Formats: sequence, structure tokens, C-alpha cells
Amino acid sequence: MLYILILVISGIAQFLGPWWLMPIVCFGLCFWKAKNAKEAYGIAFAAVSTLWLGYSLFQSVSSGGAFPLKVAEIFKLPNAASLFAAVTLVGGLVAGFAGLAGHYCRLALKP
Amino acid sequence: MKYIRALLSLLVAGGLTYIFSRPLGPAPALGPFFSPFTGFWQNAESPDKQPPADIKLQGLKGEVTVKYDDNGVPHIFADNDEDLYFAQGFIIARDRLWQMDFYSRVAAGRLSEVMGPLALDFDRYNRRLQLPEGAERLAESFTHEPTSKLIVESYSAGVNAYIQQVSYKDLAIEYKILGYTPEAWSPLKTALVEMVMRKDMNARSDDYRMANALAKFGKETMNDLFPDYPVEESPIVPSGTKWDFTPLAVPKVPELMKASIAANLDLEAENPGIGSNNWAVHGSRTASGLPLLANDPHLGLSLPSIWYQMQLVSPTVNVYGVCVPGWPGIGIGFNKDIAWGMTNVGSDVFDLFQIQFKDNTFKEYKYGNDWRPVTSRVSEFKVKGSPEIIRDTVLYTHHGPILYSQGQKPFFSDLPVGHALTWVGPVAAGNSVKALYLINHGKNYDDYRKILPYLAAPGFNVVFASNQNDVAITSAGHFPLKWKEQGKYSLDGANPEHEWKAWIPVEQTPYVKNPARGFVSSANQFPADPSYPYYLGWKFAPAERGIRINERLGNMTKATPDSLRLLQNDNFNVEARRILPELLKYLEKDPSAKALPAYGVLAKWNLRNDPNEIAPTIFERFVKELRLAIWEDEFPTQDEKAPMSQPTRDRTWAMLQKQPNAKWFDNVKTTDKVETAADIITTTFKATIDSLTVKYGPYNPQTWVWGTAKGTDIKHLVPLFKSFSRMDIINGGGANIVNATTEAGHGPSWRMVVQLDKTWPKAYGLYPGGQSGNPGSPHYDNMVEKWAKGELNELVFLKSKDEQHPRIKSTVKLQR
Repeated sequence: MLYILILVISGIAQFLGPWWLMPIVCFGLCFWKAKNAKEAYGIAFAAVSTLWLGYSLFQSVSSGGAFPLKVAEIFKLPNAASLFAAVTLVGGLVAGFAGLAGHYCRLALKP
Repeated sequence: MKYIRALLSLLVAGGLTYIFSRPLGPAPALGPFFSPFTGFWQNAESPDKQPPADIKLQGLKGEVTVKYDDNGVPHIFADNDEDLYFAQGFIIARDRLWQMDFYSRVAAGRLSEVMGPLALDFDRYNRRLQLPEGAERLAESFTHEPTSKLIVESYSAGVNAYIQQVSYKDLAIEYKILGYTPEAWSPLKTALVEMVMRKDMNARSDDYRMANALAKFGKETMNDLFPDYPVEESPIVPSGTKWDFTPLAVPKVPELMKASIAANLDLEAENPGIGSNNWAVHGSRTASGLPLLANDPHLGLSLPSIWYQMQLVSPTVNVYGVCVPGWPGIGIGFNKDIAWGMTNVGSDVFDLFQIQFKDNTFKEYKYGNDWRPVTSRVSEFKVKGSPEIIRDTVLYTHHGPILYSQGQKPFFSDLPVGHALTWVGPVAAGNSVKALYLINHGKNYDDYRKILPYLAAPGFNVVFASNQNDVAITSAGHFPLKWKEQGKYSLDGANPEHEWKAWIPVEQTPYVKNPARGFVSSANQFPADPSYPYYLGWKFAPAERGIRINERLGNMTKATPDSLRLLQNDNFNVEARRILPELLKYLEKDPSAKALPAYGVLAKWNLRNDPNEIAPTIFERFVKELRLAIWEDEFPTQDEKAPMSQPTRDRTWAMLQKQPNAKWFDNVKTTDKVETAADIITTTFKATIDSLTVKYGPYNPQTWVWGTAKGTDIKHLVPLFKSFSRMDIINGGGANIVNATTEAGHGPSWRMVVQLDKTWPKAYGLYPGGQSGNPGSPHYDNMVEKWAKGELNELVFLKSKDEQHPRIKSTVKLQR
């Protein structure tokens, strides 16, 4: 459930606004829903990395797929896969820590 | 404990978000950059992407309709001129904002602000050339005149309307990678873009290298080896044309400087790659009975392309052509009645003055019998990644700034000798925006001549044709009125007779209308033969392209647009026709040279630099090495203390043909032997084969073929972004071939052919790139293949907003 909520709500927020709405949504939803620290971190990480990976794959496929390779070359990355890995990691890390912070803040405020 | 844990986790989450929101050194901000919602993924455009149907814009007076054709060319229809130029700015910013911004930063000397220390020397150089000061003058002249004021201000407002509404997600990929955002546009930035063009066309000099040669060999030898007019030439204004004006008195030649003082000036030498072709054929030689006009300006090829195609329509104008992003109006194009095109004149408008300082404090310099005060200005540079502001002090005389060698230290420790620079860039104002406005609206020959006072620099050979069956060409621009050979060598800053004092009247620059031969043309060669009363320079682009164009046009009857397209792609090698038989005669006598397969290839060559030929690979390298072998011993180009110019190829080949026993053939570095022309030619031929073998492997028709051996690179404006470039495009041609594509990445940056007509013209054109500046767009480089093959697109020139055209793919309404 938390997974779906993060996916959908952060998706809408990022579609309309800047990228940093994503950690705010993760923080809020994990504050509200996460049962423990592991879940907060893990689900937020998983949800956002699925979202980022999925959407970037979609973008890349619908435009023919050559462009990510060119960008990867500029950053001296060996292939497009490493670019997708970076996307997963950047999105996931930020989401995971934001989720964790949400959960811990709730524990701190309401025992 | 739980509070600390909460606080710590908040810090980590907030910290990560913060760090990923900012550029990390040279790397972009990772969060927004990698996010598929905003990052580079958003720059990948699908082939069937449609623009929005309506865009709301503040600042418009009425409604503007923009129709995009299948090549991504916008056709803009506005109800008034303010809206037209507003829309031009808005629409071009959508496709090319980063590029415009980049050009304006180049001329402002502010590239290092966004690219880091790598660009600092380049910035310093551009500021020392006074590009920013020149732009300020230009901007002032734009806003001083009501028409150009309206244009540059509306255009800026249009660009800024785009900047205000663009979000990070839609920013150009270059902004995202380099981690900065666009600045507001202004008339000054338009002027900065023009200064980039002035620099590219005019900021080059051989003066210092020539002065070194003069100091070593004396005037008599220089007159012989560096004559003021070539042996073989076919000038733009045909020889024998009568000058129908009374020229001003030309100043007398004053005393030249006796000796040149050593100074290590690292200036760009004359660049043979900056050249262009244009011509117009009178109706007496065409199939339709009305003129045809063609133009292919050769510039450094880049991606995004230097040109952008547009059709601009308002109640006062309907014009189609290409413009330079950042510069309003249409630069090269046509309307219902006329067509025009431009090539660089390349006259000598960049002069260096030796300055004699009074003492080591550099506070005063000699001028006439007086000492004048030196002034200084401090330039400040913000450099990306560097917390402190870098300052550069430049000394000024009344001639202009004093240029020093690269790597100059802020406090002079060694010889206090410099050269001051006077060049047309910051000095001539003119009003290019007004000039373009007038030609865009032009209806006939008289309208065409009206642009002359406004076209200052760079000087352009403006070719013209009208549906009243007039063809004409003018070497237009503001050119200093010089004494003969003024500026051929470094000038004396202390002698008042050496400085620029007046200009050639604009109506007396070389021009010709409807010459008897039935066509006009230019290929950057001498504008006129020595009968022209003014001195424009001692050296222009080599004559070969002009000779070939004039020969072929002279044989044309019933010309069609396709005859002109084929001429643009002509690969015939005029230089080889002139000199190869002579060279083969020498090689023939040497059995070991004759035995080489390369000899056979040259002997059987059809003299065309076609991509599938092998001979051009050998010939081009051979003549290049031969010229060095003849001259480098006496005229070293790379000498650290006194680098020199070398005699032109024209002079070299004339010597080979007429003075085969000239002493210059001897290599003065070999003391035990006196080499003859035959020795130099045969040894250089063998050396050429050796160097080709090193480069392409042992002789093999597959690897030595011209198309691959030459290759043409079209690089992204940031050369580091290699994957955004197109490398090694296979095509024919060469530096002095009509189809002037070079290995170094120069070539026809726009090819256009227009067939004039009483009712509606037909036109063809393309450039090696695409309308979009976005490397993720299918319109980024979609014209490159056709360009390499020498094909042209038919251009969609709409009669009105309501015309239904099958190639119009989408319509956008811009509304208040």
C-alpha cells in the first residue's frame, strides 16, 4: 500500500513540480504509514527507484533510445545501463533517507 | 536518543536533497539532472512530438500564427512588425536559446563563468579584442534608429518571454550539463552576436609575420615574393569594368618602419577556410529568362548549426531565408521580388602598431614628436569553480589596446614592447539590423543599394538578383581609406601617417551591375583588379574557386536551379590543372618516383576531388608539403623568435612555372649541396608518400580514398561534447574547391539556390545540421546526409497564412 501511495503521489508531485517534492512526499507518507525503519527506507527506496527507472525507460524507448547513450558518453560512462543504474541509485537513496527520516520523526513526536 | 536519531536522519535526507540540487564541481546537479521528470531524459524528443496548439504570451499586441513544416522550419505570420520580431525571438529561443546565449558569452568574454578556467584565456583574448566595447557601440546604433530600435527591442522581449516561461525540464541539455540557467536577452546581446561574426571574419592578421620577413629580406624581395595582386586571378568585378565615380585622393605612402622589434604575438593567421561562394545569373543565360541566384557561405561548421531557417510575414514583409540565432531579421534569403546572398570580403581591416614606450614604467608612448599617456583598464572575470575574481589589466593607446603574448604576466618583467591594435570590429558601427530590414523589404536594385551605409563590418560581397532581371554584386562594408600596402606589415605607432584616418565612401566600394558577361559572382577573391583606385589588401582568398565558378558560369546557357546546385558541388581542382602537369614532368624523370603506384594515380587523375578518387589524397598533401619544402628554410612559419609568412601558392606555382632556377628552391639548411626544383619535387613526393603511408597504411585504394581520408567533422560548440558532434562525414571537395569542405570542419554552412519569378519564386536550400538545437531531437542533424550528398530541399515559401500546403505539419497560435 505504502509502495503504491509513494509511487502515485510522488509521481504526480514530480510531474507538476520540482524534483525535491519527491523526498518531501516520501517523508510525509512514511511518517504516516511506515511500520518500522526497515520498511520506511526499503519501500521508499523501492517505490521511487521503480518510478524513476520505469519512467526513464519509457522516455528513452518512446524517443528511439539513442539519446541516453550520447549522454552516457559525455559523462564517460561505459553504456546506457550505467546511466539507468545511476538514476535508480540517485532517486532511491534520496527517497530512502527521506522515508527513514519521516518514520524516525514520527517516532520522536508520537511514541 | 530518539530525538537525535530523528534529527540525524532528517539531516541526512535534507543534506542529500540539498547536495543533489546543486552542481558538483564540473558535474551537473544530480537530482534534477537524473530525474526522468525534469532531467536529460526530457530532452529526448520523439519523432512525432507536436508543439502545443496555443501559447499565451504577455507583450504581444495581437495574434501570431506559426506554421511548422516537415523540416521544422517555422513560418511566422503576424499582424504588425512588433509582433513579428517578438515572435521571431520567441520561436528561435525555443529551438536555439542556449546557442544564442553561448555566442553572446563568447563575445562578452564571459564563457569561463559557465565553463570554468579552461575558457579563461579565450575570454581574455576576446576582451582584448574589444568585442564587448564594440558591442556597446553597435547596440547604441541599433537603439538610435527607430526601425532597428523596434526590431531589437521586440526581438529581445520575445526571447525573454520564452526565458520567463521555460522550466528546468524544458531547458537545453547544455544548460543542464553545465549547470547554469539563461540570462535575460537584450539588444546588447544581439550586438555581441554580431561581434562574434566580426571576429570570425576579420580578426586575423599576417602583419607581424610579414614584418619579420621584411626585416630579414628587404623590400625588393618582398615585392617580388609577396606581390599585391596574384598572377592568376579572376576578380569579382570583371577586369575592364569602368569605375563610374570620382575617387577621393589616396594618402601618400609614408616612410615605413626600418626594423621590426621582436614580440611574440600569438595571433590567428589568415584562415583559408573562411570563404564562401555566391553568384547570380542574368535571365539571358537562364532557362526561365529571369535570374537565378546561389549562395553557400563557408564557415566553421558546428552543431547546433550557425543558421536557422525562417519565413517572416507581416503586412510590410514576406521573406524567407536563414538567420543567425540572436540576430533578428533574415540574413541570407529572398522575397517575392529579390534574392540576396553574402560572402566574406576579407580585406585588410586588422592592423598592428608597434609602440615605443618612453621608459620601463610604460606610462607614456611616442606619437609624432610628443609623448602621450598610456591608459589602462582592468577587466574582471568570474570563473566557475573559483571563489576569487580574476583581474586582467590591459594598456591602451589611442590606437587601441596593446596585445601581448599569451601567458603574459600582470607585471611586465622582460622587454616592454607591444603592439597596439586597430581593427574594424570595435571601430565601425553601421547598423546591421537596419540593413537586414531594408534588404528583407527590398523590391528592386535601388532598394538593394540602400543598405550600403548600414553594412559596416564584416564586409560582405552582397550578391543580388531581382525579378526585373537585374543582377549585381557589391563588396560592401566600411573599409579604411589606406595608402598602398598600409597594414601589409606592422605599422609604426609613433608615425601619425600610419594610422587610419578616413573611410572609402560606401558607394565607391567595388560593385558591378548587369555586366556584359551575364552573371556576377564572388568567392572571396580580389574584389577588383589593380585598376580599382583604393587599396583593400594585398592578399585575398586563393583564386581557384572564383576561376572555376566564372568559367562554368561563362559556359552556361539555359541555366536551371539544378545547374547551380551542381556548380555548388563542383569538385574540379583548378590548382591541379595548373601545376600537376609541371610536377609530373619532374617526377617522370626520376625512375624511383615514377615506379610508385601514387605516380600512376596522379598521372591518370581526372582532376576532380570526388570522394571516390585517390589522387586528391596524394595531391593535396603533396602540394602542401612541397610549399613547405620550398619556403620553410628561408621563411620559417614556426620560428619562436620571428615567425614569418610564406609566399602564396599562386606565387609559388608561378615561380615553378617561370623561374625553375630561382635560388629559393635551394634548401639553405644543406650546406654541401645546391638543390634544384627537380630535387625538391622528387624528394618531397617520396616524403609525401611516406607520410601518407604512416597515416593510412601502405598504398591501398580502400584506405587512401579522398572521401574517408579527408572526412569532414561537424563539432558541437562545446568540443568536449563529442557524442553531440558528427564526425568523419564522407564527401568530396576541398579547401580551394568550389565544394569547399575541409577536414578542419569548414564548409558550406548553408546552400541556397533561388529561381526568381514574376509571380512567385522557387527556392532550394539546406545546411549541415537541423532546425533544433537539441541533440535529443530528430531535427538536430537531419539535413547532414543530404548535405553530404549535395542535394537540396525545396523550400516552403507560403504566399499567405491561409495557404494550404501539404508540407505544413503543425500550427501554433501565439496569443496575448
